[in-house]
Amino acid sequence: MLRDLRLRDFRCFPELVFEPAPGLNFLAGPNAHGKTSVLEAVCILLRLQSPRANSLAEAVRFDQPGFGLDGHWGERHMHMKFTDALKHFALDSKPQSRSADYLAVARVVWISNDDLQLVRGSGSPRRRYLDFLGAQVVPNYLRQLRVYERALRSRNALLKDNRPRREIAAFDSSLHEAGGFLLQARAAMCADLRNSARESCRRISGGGEALEMAYLPGSPADFAAALENSRDEEIRLRTTVVGPHRDDIAIRLGGREAVSFASEGQQRSVVLALKLAQAGRLEQSADDPPVYLIDDVFGELDPTRRNNLLKALPPGAQKLITATSLDWLVEEDEAALFSVGGGVVAKKK
Amino acid sequence: MKPADYPEPFHDLVRELRRLPGVGPRSAERIALWLASAKDARPLDLAQALRHAAENLRSCQTCGFFCTEEFCEICRDETRAGGEICVVEQATDILPLERTAFFHGRYHVLGGRLAPLDHVGPEQLRIGELLARIKIEQPREIILALSADVEGEATTNYLAEILTPAGIPLTRIAHGLPAGGGLEHADPLTLQRALSGRNPVRV
Ligand SMILES: Nc1ncnc2c1ncn2[C@@H]1O[C@H](COP(=O)(O)OP(=O)(O)O)[C@@H](O)[C@H]1O
Ligand SMILES: [Mg+2]
Ligand SMILES: [Zn+2]
Repeated sequence: MLRDLRLRDFRCFPELVFEPAPGLNFLAGPNAHGKTSVLEAVCILLRLQSPRANSLAEAVRFDQPGFGLDGHWGERHMHMKFTDALKHFALDSKPQSRSADYLAVARVVWISNDDLQLVRGSGSPRRRYLDFLGAQVVPNYLRQLRVYERALRSRNALLKDNRPRREIAAFDSSLHEAGGFLLQARAAMCADLRNSARESCRRISGGGEALEMAYLPGSPADFAAALENSRDEEIRLRTTVVGPHRDDIAIRLGGREAVSFASEGQQRSVVLALKLAQAGRLEQSADDPPVYLIDDVFGELDPTRRNNLLKALPPGAQKLITATSLDWLVEEDEAALFSVGGGVVAKKK
Repeated sequence: MKPADYPEPFHDLVRELRRLPGVGPRSAERIALWLASAKDARPLDLAQALRHAAENLRSCQTCGFFCTEEFCEICRDETRAGGEICVVEQATDILPLERTAFFHGRYHVLGGRLAPLDHVGPEQLRIGELLARIKIEQPREIILALSADVEGEATTNYLAEILTPAGIPLTRIAHGLPAGGGLEHADPLTLQRALSGRNPVRV
């Protein structure tokens, strides 16, 4: 659980102190006053990565040399700063050179309206959804993913330049080995997520049609043979045409493709269900629950879904939820309310 | 009035030092200051050593290792003839292998590895030289000692393909557990490689 957070020269905040409560926290304020930035700061402090910016440099307050973040996760003191395009981070005041120990401390779940891409976008956000989980719960996943990506890019560069087959084939063994690993790990993750996603979707939408998610591997079971058989096509298209880089997840509601047939409200339920399933899986593999960072989503939901989502969130976990207004909030006893504006986060209740 | 600055020769020196790997503007200036003014600096000895190295150091016509004549000491050593040829990426890979005192054959430096993303293809490597050598030297065995990452693996695969028709026994070095290390400290990938590269036990 995040006990306190301090920001320096982060986005629009020269300085900020924020002390969230253990359970539910609502952060309300007009647009462009820094709500998302506070959640982003939490994510960067705990995971060293921004959920919305490709480069941490974007989060440095304009015309400043860098930003600093500091806080406590339970008893652990976490500190990170970003200057001269470099991250520095310390655990309990001891500077760390490798990120593994630091990242082992805390986990986050990030839910925002961009997640609608999980249903509406191309395959890449759905592969990223699986990779995000794999990197945290499957041993060796990240390394195999990097090997696969490097072999794939090398191979595609050779195909693009029309290089001789034996040069291309030289990268096949790495592609098979890492690709086979990814295909297997992703199939297993999808199988793990299926039931809990369906259950979460049922709870958020209050019954209705059943959510079905199915792994669509980018290669037949025998990846090596499929690669062999795709030679003519890859020469014609000058790129690798089979493999886990073509993986996808089929998402259906009541038997129909969610992207084309589900209403906007239904699509929002589906996306939240996928994220909650991911969070549940993440929770199984760690000692303490992740912190839920939920940005702007509540304002877009109808009142029933809103309340259902609140109930579907794990009661023991810490939740930070932003919204432009809280008019809709039914008297929620244990919730802490904060207003964000004028460069401060003030506790109202 | 123009403010005073270091004289021109000082700037020339800093400029050259800055070209060295790992030397930034600040350290270049620090080294230049030391060379120009420290009591023990001996800059002319350094200049002499640089000139001597530049004029005499070259790489072996046969294997690519460092030498001062046409061929290196390893290639001139007749007791190593007709044995194994160990193929490595860089000339600097040879010394660690030599220090094992386990290998008594000769080497062949490729000068890199296949890396399409860095625009390195077979033409940039000393593969033609290797094929020519094999015909003449007829080694007992060719050992591929390349790194265990994506590019190293690809280069190993490529050489295996190219060298197989020569009919000479071809091996690659094993990737396994570090000596003196227990299983509990090995990461899964290393263990997996060690398992797949296991050897028969003699009874
Ligand atoms: N690097 C930065 N330096 C200074 N201000 C920034 C920076 N990045 C964004 N901002 C500003 O910070 C404000 C808060 O943004 P945001 O956190 O997205 O607000 P909210 O989520 O409340 O709508 C915006 O006005 C934005 O222009
Ligand atoms: Mg926002
Ligand atoms: Zn030589």
